[in-house]
Parts: sequence; C-alpha cells; structure tokens
Amino acid sequence: MELQKFYYDNKIVKMFAYATIFWGVVGMLVGVLIALQMVLPAANFGLAFTSFGRVRPVHTNAVIFAFVGNGIFTGYYYSLQRLLKTGMASNWMTRVHFWGWQTIIVAAAVSLLAGFTTGKEYAELEWPIDIAIALIWVIFGWNMMWTILKRRVKHIYVAIWFYIATFVTVAILHIVNSMEIPWAIFKSYPVFAGVQDALVQWWYGHNAVAFFLTTPYLGLMYYFMPKAANRPVYSYKLSILHFWALIFLYIWAGPHHLLYQALPNWAQSLGTVFSIMLIAPSWGGMINGLLTLRGAWDRVREEPVLKFFVVAVTAYGMSTFEGPMLSLKNINAISHFTNWTVAHVHIGALGWNGFLTFGMIYWLFPRMFKTKLWSNKLANVHFWLGTLAMLFYSIPMYWAGWTEASMWKQFTPSGDLVYPNFLEIVTQIMPMYYMRLFGGLLYFSGMFLLVYNIYKTVKAGEFVPLEAAEAPALEKEGARHSGESYHRFLERRPVQFMILAIVAVLIGGVVEIIPTFIIKSNIPTIATVKPYTPLELQGRDIYIKEGCYVCHSQMVRPFRSETERYGEYSKAGEYVYDHPFQWGSKRIGPDLFREGVKSGPLYKSDSWHYTHFMDPRKLNAQSIMPKYPWLAENDIDVEATPAKIRVMQYLGVPYPKGYDLIANDDLKAQAEKIASGLKSSGIDVAASKQVIALIAYIQRLGTDVGDSKTALK
Amino acid sequence: MSNIDETKLNPGEPEIDELTKDRYLGGHEYDGIRELDNKLPRWWVYLFFATIIFAVVYLLGYHVTKWWPLQEAEYANELSVASDLKKANPDPVVDIENMIPLTTAADLEAGHATFKKICSACHGQNGEGNAVGPNFTDQYWIHGDTIAKTVTIKNLYKVVIEGATGTAMVSFKSQLSPIQIQQVLSFILSLQGTNPQNPKAPQGVKYEKIG
Repeated sequence: MELQKFYYDNKIVKMFAYATIFWGVVGMLVGVLIALQMVLPAANFGLAFTSFGRVRPVHTNAVIFAFVGNGIFTGYYYSLQRLLKTGMASNWMTRVHFWGWQTIIVAAAVSLLAGFTTGKEYAELEWPIDIAIALIWVIFGWNMMWTILKRRVKHIYVAIWFYIATFVTVAILHIVNSMEIPWAIFKSYPVFAGVQDALVQWWYGHNAVAFFLTTPYLGLMYYFMPKAANRPVYSYKLSILHFWALIFLYIWAGPHHLLYQALPNWAQSLGTVFSIMLIAPSWGGMINGLLTLRGAWDRVREEPVLKFFVVAVTAYGMSTFEGPMLSLKNINAISHFTNWTVAHVHIGALGWNGFLTFGMIYWLFPRMFKTKLWSNKLANVHFWLGTLAMLFYSIPMYWAGWTEASMWKQFTPSGDLVYPNFLEIVTQIMPMYYMRLFGGLLYFSGMFLLVYNIYKTVKAGEFVPLEAAEAPALEKEGARHSGESYHRFLERRPVQFMILAIVAVLIGGVVEIIPTFIIKSNIPTIATVKPYTPLELQGRDIYIKEGCYVCHSQMVRPFRSETERYGEYSKAGEYVYDHPFQWGSKRIGPDLFREGVKSGPLYKSDSWHYTHFMDPRKLNAQSIMPKYPWLAENDIDVEATPAKIRVMQYLGVPYPKGYDLIANDDLKAQAEKIASGLKSSGIDVAASKQVIALIAYIQRLGTDVGDSKTALK
Repeated sequence: MSNIDETKLNPGEPEIDELTKDRYLGGHEYDGIRELDNKLPRWWVYLFFATIIFAVVYLLGYHVTKWWPLQEAEYANELSVASDLKKANPDPVVDIENMIPLTTAADLEAGHATFKKICSACHGQNGEGNAVGPNFTDQYWIHGDTIAKTVTIKNLYKVVIEGATGTAMVSFKSQLSPIQIQQVLSFILSLQGTNPQNPKAPQGVKYEKIG
C-alpha cells in the first residue's frame, strides 16, 4: 500500500511546554507567597491586590488551569499526532488554542487580583472569561475530533479515550456551573442559589479534579509511561473497565464536599458511596501504570524520568485512596474545613500532576531537540528535592489538620468547649504553617533546577519543528465484523465513542442535580428568611470580592462542638437568596454564618468589626487576618445597586416591583444609621464607604432564624 | 469477561513478551506502544465488588432500613447526651444579692476559659483591653459605683446581664449562666495589677476598692 507523507507539529508542543514551565514557576511562586502570608500577615503588603483572599485563587487557578492545563496540552499535542499517525487537522486552531488559553490565563490573573470573582472555588472567573474559556475549549475539542477522524490508525488508543472524556466533560461542567447573569461588564450573579448552587459548584469542583487533573493526566500516563519505559501496557482489559467505570462513577462524587452540611441527606449518601466505589477504578489506572514497568524496574533506578513517573503514579494511588476515605462521614467530620484537605490536594498536585509533568518535560525536550538531557544528575536532584518537599509539605499539614479538628471538638467534662477561642487553635498550628512554607520553598527550588536543565538541553540541541513521518491511509471499514469485540469496534468509531462518554458522565449529574431543583422538600422554606437589604447585598459583594470565603466558612454543621462555638446549625432554607452560596471549604478563621446573631456566641459590635477590618492585630495580636484599610477609603458602588436588584429579581428574589429605583434610598438610610452608631463609639467614617456595607452584611449573617433559639423548634 | 477472541490473534503462536511471559494482543500497537492481554487482577475485581456491596448496604442502611441515624438524629442524640450530663451536674445556685468574687483555682480556671471564649475579643487575651474594650487590669472602671466609691462584682454582673447601651458591650444573658458570669468576673477581678503588655490607657474613674 502506498505510504503517505505527513508531519508532526512539534512547535505547538514546544509552545505549550514553555508555557507549562513558565506558569509552573508563577503558580508555585504565588503558592509560596500565600504560605508566607499565613505566618507573616505583613506579606499581604496592606494592598488590596496582594491580600490573601485575592491571591489564593490566583494560586489555585494558576496551578490548575495554567500549569497543569498547559501540561495537558503539551503532552496531548505530542501524543495525539503520533497515536493517530497524522498532523493536527487544523494549524490555525492549534494556534488559536494556544494563544487563547494564555490570554485567558493572563486575564484570569489580572481580574482575580483586581477583585473580579464569582466567589465559587476553582470557577472564580467572571462571565466574559467564562465565555472565552468555552470558545477556546470547543476549538481545542473540535480540532481533536477532526484530527481523530483524519487518522491513519484504525483504533483509538486508551490515552485518546481519556482525552475525549476530558473534552466533553469539562465542557459540560464549565458551561453548567458558569451560568450567570451579568449586572456589569465584569460582574455577574450565578443563576443558582444556596443549596443548589453548592451542589452544582461541587459537582463542577470535584469533577474539575476528575476531568482536568485526573483523566487527561491518565491519558498522558498511558502514552509517556510505556514510551519512557519501552514496555507494553499491562492490561488492555483493565484499561477498558477502569476507563468506563472511572468516568461513570466520578461524576456522582461531588456531594462528598458537602457532608454534614445543608444538602439533602440522600445526595450526601450518593456522594459517599460513589466515592468509595471509585477506589478500584482509580487504582486500575495506577496498576496499569506501575505494572507497565514490569521488566524495566532496573531502569527506574537510573532514569529520572521513570522515577518521576513512579512517584507520580504512587501519589495518584495514595490520593485516590485517601479521597474516598475522606468521603466517609465520620472521617469527613474530622477532616473537613481543616488543613487535612490541603495536605490531601497537595499530594495530588505536587505528586501526581507535578511529577508527571516534570517527567514528561524531561522526556520530551531531548526528543524534540534531538539531543540528550543536559544533566541526568540535576534531574535526579530535582526528583529528590521534590520528594522531600512533598513530605515537608504534607506531614505538617496532616498534623495541623488533626490538631485543628481535635481542638475544635474537645469538651470539658462539664460540657464546655476546651478551646473556645478560635485564635488559640490558629496559634497552635503556626509551627506547622512554617514547616509547610519550607516544604513549598523546596518544591519551588526544584523547579529552578528543571528550568536550568531544560535551558541547557535546548541550547545543546537543535529543534525539529516539523517531524516527518509516513504511513498508509486508513482503509474504510464498515460494520462490526464477526469476532470483533464491541469495544474494539467502538474504538474505531470515535464519534460514537464520544457520545457514549457523554451519556456516561451525564447520568450521575442528572440524577443528583435535577431532583434538588424540582423537589420542594429538598430545601424546606423558612418564612422568616428575607432577601438582603441593598446595603447588605453591596456588602456581600465586597465579601465575595475580597475572597473572605477563602478563609471563612458560612456553614455551621450539626455537631454540638459547632453549635456551641457558633450557634444554631445551618438550614437549607436559610440560603435561598444566596447567589452565589458562600459556604466555603476551609476554616483558616472561624465560621461566620451566625456572626450577626446578637444573642449568639460570636456577636461583636459594629465598632469591633470596624476596628478589626482596619487592623485585626489591634484586637488580637496573634491574628493572621490581613488588614483591609481600603474598605474605609473606597466608596460603595451605589450606581450598580439598581442593576444588582434587577438581576436578583430576575433570578426570583422577591424584591417588590420597582424596588430597583428606590433601593439606594434604603441603602443610604441604613448606611447612615451604621455610620452614626460608629460615630457615637468615636469612629469617624463616612456612610458611603465600603466598610459600612460589609459591616451591614456581617451583622445580617444568620439572623433570619438564628436570633431567637425558639424560631427553629 | 474476556473480550478477546482467540481466532482474532495473529496466525500462528500468539506472541509472548520475553521479560514477563505475558501474551501480547495482536494488532494493538500505537506509536510503538503495545498492549498485553492480561486479565483483570483478581484482588482488584474483588475490591471493586466489595465497594459496590458497601455502597448498596450503606444506602439501604441509612435510607431504607434506617439502621443508622442521619445527621439531624445524630445531632439530637449528641444534645440529649450533653443535657443528661448537665442534669447530672447541675449548676450551683448563685445568690446574686450577696455575690462575692470566687477564689478557688477551679472557679478561676473556669472563669478564664469563659474569658478566652467571650471577653478576649474586646478586652485582650490578658485583659489589657484593645481598640474596642477597656483594660481590666488597672484601677480605672467605667461601671463602678461612684457614690459608694467601689467596684463590686455585683456592679459588673449587671453590665454582663444588661450590656452597656451605646457601646460594643452587649448582653450576655442568653450565653452565660449565672455561675459562669460569677466565675468570669472573679477571674477578671483577679487580673488587678497584673501589668500585661500593651495595656490600654485608663478609662473611667479610679477606684481604690475593687472586688
């Protein structure tokens, strides 16, 4: 048969690889900065742009979507072309994909630092960027499917199954979770509220882990592991079973982020059991990766690439066992809201994603530059530095998480909290925060070894932008022939494959989300719950803008240790006007849901809050909260009030008709009252300042039902 | 579970990997990557089945047979255990009219705990005061009895119960039992003359007789 000549585009691979390295350095640097801010609040620099609440989302977004994202595309473009024996179908699409993705990252970083955020974790980006992401993602996927259709290989390899699942699922997750109504050019409210918003957000958030940090990297593993080891994949059967089980089961597991919270019990239980059922499918990937090395273990000792891969896959196995364990109610009751979760995700990020990326980069550059890696020794040092870094990072964080949980929960024999002062617990774990910073610095310094090693490799080699290859055209093959297994048949039907993958991932989401929306009993209404006043709404937007949710939860769980500390536990019906929900996932500081309840254990006066926002250390020398002096300088955006009210009305919040036009009158009256109250305590601040709105919101928190203890009984 | 048809294998002997003695799958080759025809590891299959059984039992046990309590019931249990404990150890009766500061180490310790939980936010960790609340360690008091020229625990008890209008001091009536208030006030009065760091400047009137 006649051989056709074609070229592999290495240039796009190189571009994405450089972007991976660059954003890796940035993302890790920002991580080190926020770790420093935890032990040294002065590292917030007293500036809005550099305060923890805004910088932390930059760290998570940079690591997930910039570092790992570009890492995915690096390995994807290299492997896809070779697995299909064709160049990419469209060159302009690859370029638009690359530059579009980098532009999105820059826009994300700038807008997050400027305070434009939706307040939903890992989906913080505002609506114009959301639209751009959707467009670029579709271009990436379109080009992928088109390339697959143009292939010269009959069957699509398991790595490509994972790429297809990644493409379709991320598209679905992103679009559904980003449904929002703009009230300004860079600001919007999500269409979902409270419990529903929380469910959709964690369906998204969990599956961002599954389909952005896991499935594409499994695809990369299936290509680079056997390539680097020059060994066959252990079991094709295992590939099939663990692939379909993984994508089908993963999508259900989101509610495990909301255990013991105001989510209906049945949804929580689904989250738990599907997480447990994920152990085997996840480990299927680990087994297939590690057992591929059978017969090559002696080379693992010498090859830094294989070392990185082995630790990456092992970290994957550990994370995917720990994850299901953390989804058990009794363990989650301990781990949730603590640094345990932080340790858990960093085993995944530093170990699985980081190490797989490093191994892949060390493998790719010598091949694209027709040379050897400049220094195997330096890569080995990087490996050991990174491995140590993971220990220095995770052990203190596990310890901190355990310490926090036990101090939060301990009672005296007479039934009082042993550590009623939250700050005491924060102070207790400061040494662990220092050690974590050290671990982060180690990991970061390893990254510099990589940069130098790659720089030297690139200098020594000669880049091959277009790699020539040849193969015969693919012969047309029709219906399934006898003896061909169904799956083998499916592997040469990529469009059907994609449709089946969509079906597999839709089932779980539909079963969990739709009933929560349409069955009333899932969110019992509470008559006393009223919409926020215009001033409180403005204050809430400031709460979101400053990223308060990064450190403070708004979710009192039904534990006596929490109701003693914070007040009555949270009810689903209390959140019905929360667009977006602000339950949070981490308590660096205390929960704030009952902060405004006058008879509650947390209540503080307006003057306390004012002084606290200006400088928390004036009130508590050990506090690690940043200062917010600009809140007393910047004015409330009153011009936006009517638009905000109208969007809320559109979303079903029952403000009276025409209220948008008079809302500012109410806003001003309430602000004046707070300002004059502050004045009588000797604090001079104009009623038009943002801090007034934030105080109004804080003092409203939890008061709809929490004010009288009888309201709920 | 095998989806490999023997007849589909390459003609002749199936190819065997030399290092592992496993069988290759014919026709499975992608950019040089080949695949082996290994079966699913038994233990893996059992693990998968075990988790599925766990899932079924879990859902049935919580939602159908109700063997185990859901979170609301769990919380109710927790509360009833705590309230039984409280009943078994009732609060001592406090004679508000004739209240005097308590002096036992246990009472002061209990008072300290309450202080840390509630008072320290505005009066400092050591009673030194902060931008909001006054210093408890000096001789100056805002709510003393200016006629009798004394500050008694009873004067302060009233402030805790009623709050101080127009200030950050709210009523703690619903949060603290009488004995807890007596204990925390006893602790506060024990701070006299402790000279903590960063004391707040004096506020109110100087008293000689305190306690």
